[in-house]
Amino acid sequence: MDFRVRAATKEDCKDISRMIMELAVYEKMPDQVEISHKELERDGFCQNPFFECLVAEVPEEQKSKEGFTVVGYALYFYTYSTWRGRAVYLEDLYVMPAFRGKGIGKGLLCKVAEVGRKKECVRLQLSVLDWNTPSRDFYAAKGAQDLTASEGWHFIRFDGQNLDKLANEAPKD
Amino acid sequence: MRLREEERVGKRVCFVQTPPSWRRALSAPSLQLPPAFRVTEPCGSKLRGRVPSSRSKPSRPISSSPSGYPSADMDFSIRAANVEDCKDIARMIRELAEYEKVAEHVRVTQRDLEQDGFSKNPFFHGIVAEVPEQHRTKEGHTKIGYALYFYSYSSWTGRAIYMEDLYVMPEFRGTGIGKALMSKVAQLGLAAGCNQLNFTVLDWNKSSLDFYLSQGCFDVTDKMGYHCMRCEGEALEHLAQP
Repeated sequence: MDFRVRAATKEDCKDISRMIMELAVYEKMPDQVEISHKELERDGFCQNPFFECLVAEVPEEQKSKEGFTVVGYALYFYTYSTWRGRAVYLEDLYVMPAFRGKGIGKGLLCKVAEVGRKKECVRLQLSVLDWNTPSRDFYAAKGAQDLTASEGWHFIRFDGQNLDKLANEAPKD
Repeated sequence: MRLREEERVGKRVCFVQTPPSWRRALSAPSLQLPPAFRVTEPCGSKLRGRVPSSRSKPSRPISSSPSGYPSADMDFSIRAANVEDCKDIARMIRELAEYEKVAEHVRVTQRDLEQDGFSKNPFFHGIVAEVPEQHRTKEGHTKIGYALYFYSYSSWTGRAIYMEDLYVMPEFRGTGIGKALMSKVAQLGLAAGCNQLNFTVLDWNKSSLDFYLSQGCFDVTDKMGYHCMRCEGEALEHLAQP
């Protein structure tokens, strides 16, 4: 299958938003999606964007049965390790089911790694659900280490009222 | 409070708002950001209790108030880090690593911090906790804690903030400085339109985990099943081949 990986544009945000929902459905958490293409347009294409995104596109003649030619995406941002330096975090990697098994996912992942290398990033990090065996196998095959399994790392989060409460306890200016 | 990052060591976590990140958030419409700040201990009042002087070791530990907030006879202030702070931040990063006997894991230098944190598109932002001269350490340091953070993104909920480091020098712990740093970061994250504050902690680091849970966070790995994955070294090189 022909495909190309390119940087996303603002106009791609509707397709990206569509695929974000498809990914959430796959991860069995569709009710967790709160943002739309509008937030993606605002936050990814402003002066200091919160993220960058790549899309995978197929030619017209290979479009999906719904008529989509943008069939995959990778959304990422830059992070920092005070011990190792610059890193890149892959927030989302998704390929529509009908287009899997053709190297598109790998193409997207490798492009993110290449982009990170140009910025002198020394790590690529991401998270994957424990039950998502196909994805875990995919990443393990590419040399990713599972730091939760091997070292016991856990993601911790403050949100909602708990985040508000924490912020309210900050020293006054 | 701190967590380490490397194998068998805790992960540091912190966050805070600095002018560059305010400018970043300002680039999005309809967001109001806080002015530059300098903060003192809540209500500007002195903390009760005794603080170790810079010239002697404490004869008794600093006690905490029942609220868990500062109860030491010390002022401290928290402010945005600037490029001149990189020397102290690098020092504290090393202190942490040396204490944990993993100093060899630290590759980042003062110069890296200056370049990566204070350029046009910084990779991180920081805040530092400072004490007045009369409370300086025996080595003469007044910058005695820091928090380091960066903005991240959730494709489900939008803007988020990630706390990479949170550290307070041992002799200043138990006075609420760590909590103050963390809270300040939360505040700055909210001001920038973030609705999540994320970090990582090792599952065996029970005291840190208990502290964070007591502050109202939740364990995403336990609750939702997400595992942290990393690609580096040769594996990353291979992946990055065009």
